[in-house]
Amino acid sequence: MAKKILIVEDEATLNKAMGEFLVAEGFEILSALDGVTGIDIAKKELPNLILLDIILPQKDGYEVLDELKKDEKTKDIPVILLTNLESQEDIVKAFEKGATTYLVKSDYKLQDVVKKIKMALGMN
Amino acid sequence: MRIINDLNLKKQAEELGVSVWRTPSFLFIVLGLVLISAMNGAYHAIKFLNDPEFVFIAELIVVAVILTIGKMVINQAEQMAKLNKMKTEFISVASHQLRTPLSAMRWQAELLLSKMSEGLDEKQKEKITNIDMLSLRMTRLVNDLLDVAKIDQGRLSLTIKEINISECINGILKEIILPLASAKEIKVIFDDKGDLPMVMADADKMKLVFENLLSNAVKYTLEEGKIEINYEKDEDFAIFSIKDTGVGIPFSQQDQVFSKFFRSSNVVRYQTEGTGLGLYIAKNIIEQTGGKIWFESEENVGTTFNFTLPLKKVN
Repeated sequence: MAKKILIVEDEATLNKAMGEFLVAEGFEILSALDGVTGIDIAKKELPNLILLDIILPQKDGYEVLDELKKDEKTKDIPVILLTNLESQEDIVKAFEKGATTYLVKSDYKLQDVVKKIKMALGMN
Repeated sequence: MRIINDLNLKKQAEELGVSVWRTPSFLFIVLGLVLISAMNGAYHAIKFLNDPEFVFIAELIVVAVILTIGKMVINQAEQMAKLNKMKTEFISVASHQLRTPLSAMRWQAELLLSKMSEGLDEKQKEKITNIDMLSLRMTRLVNDLLDVAKIDQGRLSLTIKEINISECINGILKEIILPLASAKEIKVIFDDKGDLPMVMADADKMKLVFENLLSNAVKYTLEEGKIEINYEKDEDFAIFSIKDTGVGIPFSQQDQVFSKFFRSSNVVRYQTEGTGLGLYIAKNIIEQTGGKIWFESEENVGTTFNFTLPLKKVN
C-alpha cells in the first residue's frame, strides 16, 4: 500500500511541486496550506509521515508540532521540518519539540528530500 | 506607570534582544544609584565646608550634568539595542523570504527535467537547466550575504567536532571543482597519502572554505593550468595549501584580499561573476575554528593560499 505523506506548506507552488514529485515516486499525498488545516488532516488521516514548514499562517510549524505530539494518535508520526530558516535556535527548538529531521529547503533537491523521507520511513 | 513598567527588566531585555544588564532600565537604575551617592557626597561636603550656598549650587550643577549624560547614555543604549534586534530579524526574514522563491524555482525546474520531461526537446531542456543553474547561483549569493550578515553580528555559529577533512576535500573536488577544472583543462592534484589526521572543525563550513578557495583557484587560472592541494602537520595543527598557476594578485592590492566585496582589478578582467565575499567568509570561518589563513602571490605566476586547522587532541 502506498505510504501517505502530508505536506504542510503555505507557498502553493512549493506545496504542489513537492506533491507532484512525491506522487511520481509512488507516494499518496495529502496537503495543507496552513497550520490549523495541517493539524486537522493529520488527526483525521493519520499519514505515515509529515513534511512541515515552520512559517505558516494560523499556527506555525512549532505549534503544529506541539499539537501533534500531545495527541496519542499522532505523536509517533515522523515529522520532517522543511524550512528556509536555519539559525541554531530554530534547529535546536525543532528537535526539542520532537521533529525527526530538519532540512533547509534551498540546500536540497527534491530527489534528496525523497531520500530523507525514505530513510525516515525505513524504506529500502 | 512607566516606572513600574521600566522595572520589568526581563520583559524589556527580551523585547530589545539584549541581556538584562544592557537594558536602558537597568542603566537608569545604575545612574540613579550614582546620583544618590553623588548627593550623599555633596551633603557630607556641605557639612565640612563653610559656604552652604556655594556647595548647594555646585551640587545642582553636578546633578544636572549627571542627568543629562545619563539620558544620553540611555538613549544611545536603547537605539543600539533596537538596531541590533532589527539586524537579527532581518537575517531571519531575509533567509526565509529570499530563499523561498529560489527553492521553489529550483524544484519546478527539477520536476520538469526529471518527472515531466516527456515532450520536451533538447533545446527546451537546456533552457530549463539554465534557469536552474541561475537560481542556484542566486541561492549561493543569498547564502553568502546571509553568512556575512551573521559574521558581522558575531552570530555565525560553528558546530566543532572531529571531522575527516580528507573526505571533505574529496567531496568538494568530485561534486564541484573537478567538473569546473576539466572544462578549462586545468589539472587538479590532491596527494592524499591517507594519513590526514582528524581535525576539529565544522564539516559544512569547512566544505564551504574549500569550495571558496578551490573555485577561486579554478576561476583565476587560465586554460591548461595546474592546482595543487598539499598538507603537512605539526604538533597541534594541520597546515593546508592550495597552489595555483593563475593570474596572481597584484602586490599593491594584496592587503585588501580578505576584505568584504574586494575583487582585484586583474581578476575582474577575466571574471565578471563573483561577489568578493568568499575569502572574507573563509577567513572568518578559519579563525573562528582556531586556525590562521595567509597567502603568497605573484602576478602571472600564481597564488598559494595556506591555512591551519587545529588537530584533534590526543589524550
